[in-house]
Amino acid sequence: MTFLTKTGLAAVLVAGSVTAASAFTACQVTDTGGIDDAGFNQTAWKGVQDSMAEYGIEGRFLESQAEADYEANLNSLLGGACDVIITVGFLMGDATATSAAANPDQKYSIVDYAYDPTIPNVVGQVYATDQAAFLAGYLAAGMTETGVLGTFGGINIPPVTVFMDGFVHGANHYNSVHGTDVTVLGWNPESQEGLFTGNFDSLDDGRAFAQNLYDEGADIIMPVAGPVGLGSASLANELGTDELKIIGVDADQTQTDPDRAHVYLTSVLKRMDATVQAVIKAAMDDTFEGGLIVGTLENGGVGLAPFHSFEDAVPAELKAEIEEIKAAIIDGSLTIGG
Amino acid sequence: MMDGKDLKHVNEDMRKLLARAAFGRGDFEDLFVVPVFAVVAALVLGAVIMLATGVDLPTIGQSFVALAVGSFGSLNAVSETLTAAIPLVLAGLGLGLGFRAGLFNIGAEGQLLLGGTAAVIFTFSFPSLPFPVLMIFGLLAGALVGAAYASIAGILKATTGAHEVISTIMLNLISFRLLEYILRQPYIQREGRSDPISKSVPEAGQLPRLLDWFDPNLRLHAGVFVMLLAVVFVWWLLFRSKIGFAFRASGANPDAARYAGMRSGLVIVAAMATAGALAGLAGASQVQGVLGRASPGFSAQMGFDAIALALLGRSHPVGILFAGILFGGLEAGGRQMQVDAGVSIDLIGIIQALIIVFIAAPLLVRAIFPWGFRKETKGGKA
Amino acid sequence: MDVELRGITKRFGAVVANDNVNMVIRGGEVLGLLGENGAGKSTMMNILSGLYSPDEGEILIDGKPVSFDGPGDGIAAGIGMVHQHFMLVPVFTVAENVVLGVEPTKRLGYLDLKKARAQVDEINKKYGLHVPADALIEDLPVGIQQRVEILKVLFREADVLILDEPTAVLTPQEVEDFFSIVRSLKEAGKAIVFITHKLHEILAISDRINVLRQGRITGEGVPESLDEAKLAEMMVGRPVSFTVDKTEANPGRAMLEMTDVIMLDDADERLLDKVSLTVHSGEVVGVAGVQGNGQTELVEAITGLERVASGKIIFDGEDITHASVRERHSRGMAHIPEDRHRDGMISTFTIAENMVLNSYYEPAFARGMAIDWASVQKTAAKYCVDFDVRTPSVFLPAGNLSGGNQQKMVVARELERQTKLVIASQPTRGLDVGSIEYIHARLIEARDEGDGVLIVSSELDEIMGLADRILVMFDGRIVAEFDNTGGKADRNAVGLAMAGAHEGAAA
Repeated sequence: MTFLTKTGLAAVLVAGSVTAASAFTACQVTDTGGIDDAGFNQTAWKGVQDSMAEYGIEGRFLESQAEADYEANLNSLLGGACDVIITVGFLMGDATATSAAANPDQKYSIVDYAYDPTIPNVVGQVYATDQAAFLAGYLAAGMTETGVLGTFGGINIPPVTVFMDGFVHGANHYNSVHGTDVTVLGWNPESQEGLFTGNFDSLDDGRAFAQNLYDEGADIIMPVAGPVGLGSASLANELGTDELKIIGVDADQTQTDPDRAHVYLTSVLKRMDATVQAVIKAAMDDTFEGGLIVGTLENGGVGLAPFHSFEDAVPAELKAEIEEIKAAIIDGSLTIGG
Repeated sequence: MMDGKDLKHVNEDMRKLLARAAFGRGDFEDLFVVPVFAVVAALVLGAVIMLATGVDLPTIGQSFVALAVGSFGSLNAVSETLTAAIPLVLAGLGLGLGFRAGLFNIGAEGQLLLGGTAAVIFTFSFPSLPFPVLMIFGLLAGALVGAAYASIAGILKATTGAHEVISTIMLNLISFRLLEYILRQPYIQREGRSDPISKSVPEAGQLPRLLDWFDPNLRLHAGVFVMLLAVVFVWWLLFRSKIGFAFRASGANPDAARYAGMRSGLVIVAAMATAGALAGLAGASQVQGVLGRASPGFSAQMGFDAIALALLGRSHPVGILFAGILFGGLEAGGRQMQVDAGVSIDLIGIIQALIIVFIAAPLLVRAIFPWGFRKETKGGKA
Repeated sequence: MDVELRGITKRFGAVVANDNVNMVIRGGEVLGLLGENGAGKSTMMNILSGLYSPDEGEILIDGKPVSFDGPGDGIAAGIGMVHQHFMLVPVFTVAENVVLGVEPTKRLGYLDLKKARAQVDEINKKYGLHVPADALIEDLPVGIQQRVEILKVLFREADVLILDEPTAVLTPQEVEDFFSIVRSLKEAGKAIVFITHKLHEILAISDRINVLRQGRITGEGVPESLDEAKLAEMMVGRPVSFTVDKTEANPGRAMLEMTDVIMLDDADERLLDKVSLTVHSGEVVGVAGVQGNGQTELVEAITGLERVASGKIIFDGEDITHASVRERHSRGMAHIPEDRHRDGMISTFTIAENMVLNSYYEPAFARGMAIDWASVQKTAAKYCVDFDVRTPSVFLPAGNLSGGNQQKMVVARELERQTKLVIASQPTRGLDVGSIEYIHARLIEARDEGDGVLIVSSELDEIMGLADRILVMFDGRIVAEFDNTGGKADRNAVGLAMAGAHEGAAA
């Protein structure tokens, strides 16, 4: 009996893989945050899903539970099953490079990593997130009532700290324009030191760090630590948005965290879904070429999410100023941190 | 004449006493039948859970085929299974040895982290040493640091009576933060990186991959030999050596061991150090064989999985080896389940946990599969 | 209430624990059940109390056949068992323990302790138990704890009381009190089954006696027509000698000399108060005393298990006051511990492993860092043969052995080596007549080979029979010394000293 069942199931399996192989397939390997991290893994996956809907391709993902899984997960996607493999996260840089070198015919793309020199079969996707975070910092400085803002990160790595750089510079720019004295706790762009939870998964840490910043007077906080920020959001939810507002990162968090949508002042968008979709399109059209895609305000790769429930609370003048700054950054007349 | 007869009689008696007891059916059931049924029961229950979470039947069947194929169904699968088993078995051996000595050491995670880090630092500090000298010294450095770190808990217990469960948990927490600090030191941190990540293990310090001549993606490395040697060594240590006898005696009955003149303090420190050395070796084999560097959390909870592993293997080296291969297979097969059937990796964690629960509760397994076992008679001696 | 067991047979695998046993238990009567360890007494009583069901045979209560499916059925039918090992919650009061499981409750499950206390007092009065209902179990002496167990059974309205080796834990005085309780229970019409392997007790209290050997009834009778020798023969299957055969001691040089040894507890109270004693080569010194008067600590001081605060211990001319356990052992000190289960052996280890528990490191058993198991096993087999340890194989766990064989294993391990001094603490506690006889002979043999032997026992008979010289301990001190050459010490005088009378006279 078992034999029959097994052969039957094997047949189903074989049939399944045959159909899968016939269509164009995009595969994603997540880092340890998981596919539903309300952060970059999820956003990148949205790019795959959008492509599935628009181009009719197949998509699948593998979740990594540990760093040792990166290479193994990449290996298990080899053998022609995937037309393009998308890896997510700075920490997967080494594993992706190793795998790409061993399998030169396989197309890869990595979110949040730029190789120098570039690798012929890998497209790095990086983002000028500081541009969007600059706008968020300016906005927050204009909205704060205590004159204190806060931010913290997951791990002190460039894709994280670039948010914090932009945020601080944006707030400083507000100070110099309006002659105010808004301070940002949690990050010092000069020394490149600040507050870090040391992980991308502890919601408890997100809550505790936000609590600390709130106790120090911050009324708007930008957590840059993937799902850790959900912990901060739940604190804001309990305290009420008059006491504490959160600025989301990566995706529009009113969409990824709908239960607490009202606590998000805005989100600093890192449109990984857009760049991932662009890479998939290129792979489908045979225009895929190793190198770098940089998401900017100009090409829409980064941006600021709508204010949603704060739409009326944000003064029209502030909105106008932000639009002006955005234009200035795009035309190059304003440089961040300059 | 009379004496001769007596002597013959005595010799006859002694021969009888020395005849090895046959391998009983009870032992066979405990060692083989129970684990097999436990795995079956866990898989069945796992299927029920999948059904409850809305996975359809063909997908469930597909995922179990994938589990089998992904764990033992191909050369790559076996390679992945063994690769995952290496650090688990090494750390599990240390924990099992501790359990035998009556020490509930929760600290394998920290010992593994620091041991692995020491191996990385040692190997990139002496890049001029040739292979295999650098590789072997790297492993030794890992073992030594693991032993030293575990000894702290041992010494605390021997001198002040501090319970090892508490002290090893605390040492784990310390090791997590300590590692982040170490990895940020300029000498250790990789050039051009601001996140905590170490420099790489040089080629000569790596455990060479064994099958890459066949397929560059096969990750099985020479650590598998380290693992097998460790199994033999721990078996010898526990069941053949003098100090191992003291370990086991102290674990089975500390009072009797004290009455027999065994020095409990010495036993505690020696057992903890040996356990730590094996955990350190696990960390070293992982960084020298798989990861090539140290980063925060590279241990990936292996030190905790190894606790379950040691319990599953009944703290016997061979049992731990098989349990490690089972865990490795679940890890590799679980990956295949994701690839082929799109079933969540979390399910593998659930099945793993179920297997442990069933093996830990042999009575439950006997109750579920009554036809698999000889009928039990109640009671003991008259 | 009368209970009859007819043709009861119970097998465990190939072992027949009870073989066609017939037994009658009558109300208002004490039935003495005598047998060696492993004779099938406990199985018999477990069948009666419903814990086991028999393979063959039937149980009749007042002439009607009954069948029990579990321990609850036994007590429901009025059969209660008082176990050798107490089953009490130490931090609960007497009343709480007695009602545990059958608590009287008010509305909403509220515990009615007042009612419980009243019921306990009523039983107390009826049978003269004198147990304080509000005392915590942990504060009570062992003898009173045992009465609490009896209270529990009476509270559940048992008409048949099975007492499993009840006197094993009692002092001679407590035994007397206990017997008077048994008599009052009998007068109240209860049926009593009194299980023991102590011959004089069974003769003193029983109305009828049944003897079990190897699962069968091998003797029946009334005390008037029996004596100890007849009972022992029925029990063991051969004539048994009760007097220890020994020649006069021939004391030589001092093997052990203790001078003013003081041992303190955590609160700095003196556990040993300036103890001085000498044991010579070729003599047996017996330490008598009621349990808990410093005998345990005395042995710990001599064997090095506990540190002494001050004083000196000399072993064959060498100062060993600060030597380790192993050092003393390797110099030729043998120690048969008081509690063999806890301290003397490891029940999960094989017999072979237990035989070398304290000598595994010696050159005879070791090759470098490894143990030479072949040599260990051969030696263990020899020890088993020499000391009559009955086991099919040395590879079996020691826990599988009967109590007597476990003790013989421990004695073999300690005495087979070259020894100079033997410290034997309660060497025959809980053993059957055959084993006791054997171990006593071995201890005298050690003496005759020139060892100094120190025996600590709470059985005065044992001390009287074995010792050439008797020391009495009371309250951490040695309060009296008697010459017992040829058994000439006055038993009453020793008993009085044990009770502290000597103390009173001196003060």
